Amino acid sequence: MRTLSRLALPAVILCLLAAAGCRRAPQRTNEVVAVSQAPPLSPNDAAWNQAPEYLAKLLLQDLVEPRLMTPSTPELLVRAITDGSDIAFRLQWADPAQNDLPGSGRFLDACAVQLPKTNDAKPPAPQMGEPGRPVQITFWRADWQASVNGRGDTIRDLYPNASIDHYPFEASSLEKGSTAQKEMAKRYAPAEAAGNRRVGPRAMPVEDMVAEGPGTLAPAPSSRSKGQGVRTREGWAVVIVRPVPDGLTPGARTVVAFAVWDGGRQEVGARKMRTGWIPLLMRAGK
Amino acid sequence: MARVFNWQIGREMSYWYPGSRPGQQFAAVFDINKCIACQTCTLACKTTWTSGKGQEYMLWNNVESKPYGCYPLAWDVKLLQMLDGQNWNGRVYEGQTIFESAPAGERVLGWRPESRDYAYPNVGEDDCAGQVDKGAALSLPHHNWFFYLARICNHCTYPACLASCPRSSIYKRREDGIVLIDQGRCRGYQECVRACPYKKAFYNPMTGTSEKCIACFPKNEQGLQPQCFVNCIGKIRLAGWLSTPDKARADNPIDYLVHIKKVALPLFPQFGLEPNVYYIPPVHAPLPFLRQLFGPGVDDAVSAYRQAPKDADLSGLLCLFGSTEKAVWRWSRQGDSVAGVDQHGAQVVRVPIREPVYVRAAFDAKYQVARVNCP
Repeated sequence: MRTLSRLALPAVILCLLAAAGCRRAPQRTNEVVAVSQAPPLSPNDAAWNQAPEYLAKLLLQDLVEPRLMTPSTPELLVRAITDGSDIAFRLQWADPAQNDLPGSGRFLDACAVQLPKTNDAKPPAPQMGEPGRPVQITFWRADWQASVNGRGDTIRDLYPNASIDHYPFEASSLEKGSTAQKEMAKRYAPAEAAGNRRVGPRAMPVEDMVAEGPGTLAPAPSSRSKGQGVRTREGWAVVIVRPVPDGLTPGARTVVAFAVWDGGRQEVGARKMRTGWIPLLMRAGK
Repeated sequence: MARVFNWQIGREMSYWYPGSRPGQQFAAVFDINKCIACQTCTLACKTTWTSGKGQEYMLWNNVESKPYGCYPLAWDVKLLQMLDGQNWNGRVYEGQTIFESAPAGERVLGWRPESRDYAYPNVGEDDCAGQVDKGAALSLPHHNWFFYLARICNHCTYPACLASCPRSSIYKRREDGIVLIDQGRCRGYQECVRACPYKKAFYNPMTGTSEKCIACFPKNEQGLQPQCFVNCIGKIRLAGWLSTPDKARADNPIDYLVHIKKVALPLFPQFGLEPNVYYIPPVHAPLPFLRQLFGPGVDDAVSAYRQAPKDADLSGLLCLFGSTEKAVWRWSRQGDSVAGVDQHGAQVVRVPIREPVYVRAAFDAKYQVARVNCP
């Protein structure tokens, strides 16, 4: 027995040393480098280990009202992978509280990636572009992720103790799922009727948008981006996969910016932590 | 910030946008003295507009008991506490409005209610009465008094919701001054919920946008008064259009009550929004409390209202409240009756100032039967 324990201890130490050797500290770069590979959707995909890490320091959005006056999320770890057609960003940040329930006075954890629409020598203003010089933004939100992950779409999914007596569009006289029933339901959901469903069932937890300055954010003409967010021990890891901006070829350089919202601190809209433009290299080849 | 003139506070003030008054301003007068808190207005609105998913908690129209009732919780006292020194010099407000006292980085001084602040509308508000044979269940450090305050969106001349929206998703219609949230553009930031001092913008968690009272604009466009007005059992409400004081017309019913008789007053004029729902204050409530709610015009308004029985025009106009679904543009009194006309000058209603009284003998001699009040 004693011999066994004498052998076991060095074996455990050797295993631990081996494991530590495998988990090399990620390579840090002073720009976001998108390595050439098929972009993965999962934040836990092993392919991310091949991409160098960029530490993005976050700044207060204190330029336009309403401003964020108290710093919250200090930094963001960014990795990028591209296959020349799509580019994936993996964003990881610390946020101890998971805020993914929409509601009055409740706000949602979120992040966004911003790229200039055209790859000009001088990029537009990093604060969401400027008139005539648009930026493309892909936005991920924690409640959308919860919905994609299977959370239901009833008020009780958001407020478990809610008491509901009746919705007129669910009267027994209306055939469930009929056109008349659906139209009546829509009349009581004006945003949905206007094509602006901000919450509820969706195929992807991300949204593509364009902007030409603060307050001008609008849905992109088409949305192709994908995303996936998972909780980590410290906060969130989110992958946003979006088309490479027009004219951006392997080996080219452009700029990219990021933003993070901490729902627990009532951050929403302009109340956010953000970066300025960060150089982005589309690395050619392996 | 731009400088605009707010006649309710008798001075210029700062506002996020330059002043731009609509061609006409939707406005209303509520006679609080007649409200019995039956909540028919609340239900009329609820069944018409807010029976959808995510709107369960929303009361675009609510009626609360003052001084202690509130929906959402503490909507008024919370902001009053935040807004320092609300002093008046005569009819000029010397304190700061919510725009002028906006903290650094904000457009408006405001606060956000939590979900649970909406959870108990009217609960416990009227519980002081207790059982008839056991006296009041609640004792207060002052005489017991209360009144009912019916509230809708004030469709303000200087809306805080509109000023606060970073996406310009809120607009004030040029044709009638009704304030609306563009449901296609709103992204649910809840800045309007935070900014509206009356807490009449609500977040819908099922659509992800904010919503508010729309003054029944589809009815308004047809020359009809909103649902909460025409369903009011106590006939306390009259909708119409309000001119600025310099253009007040005696034959415009709202102008007459607000500008000429000065019997109807704005709610919390010191906030600075120039709200367009006006209240005839309850004559039995303590004046210091009413001054805080309705500004320095309260003493005169209460006095004028008390004189109404001797004032044929004022008492006549009060008879038009709740008398028709049609919007009344002009009014006039002829002897013992009062009439209202629409925008084309066509009469839409005529009512007697005093209903004729018929006294019938308890026994019908002709038919040899006792008369009863029900068939």
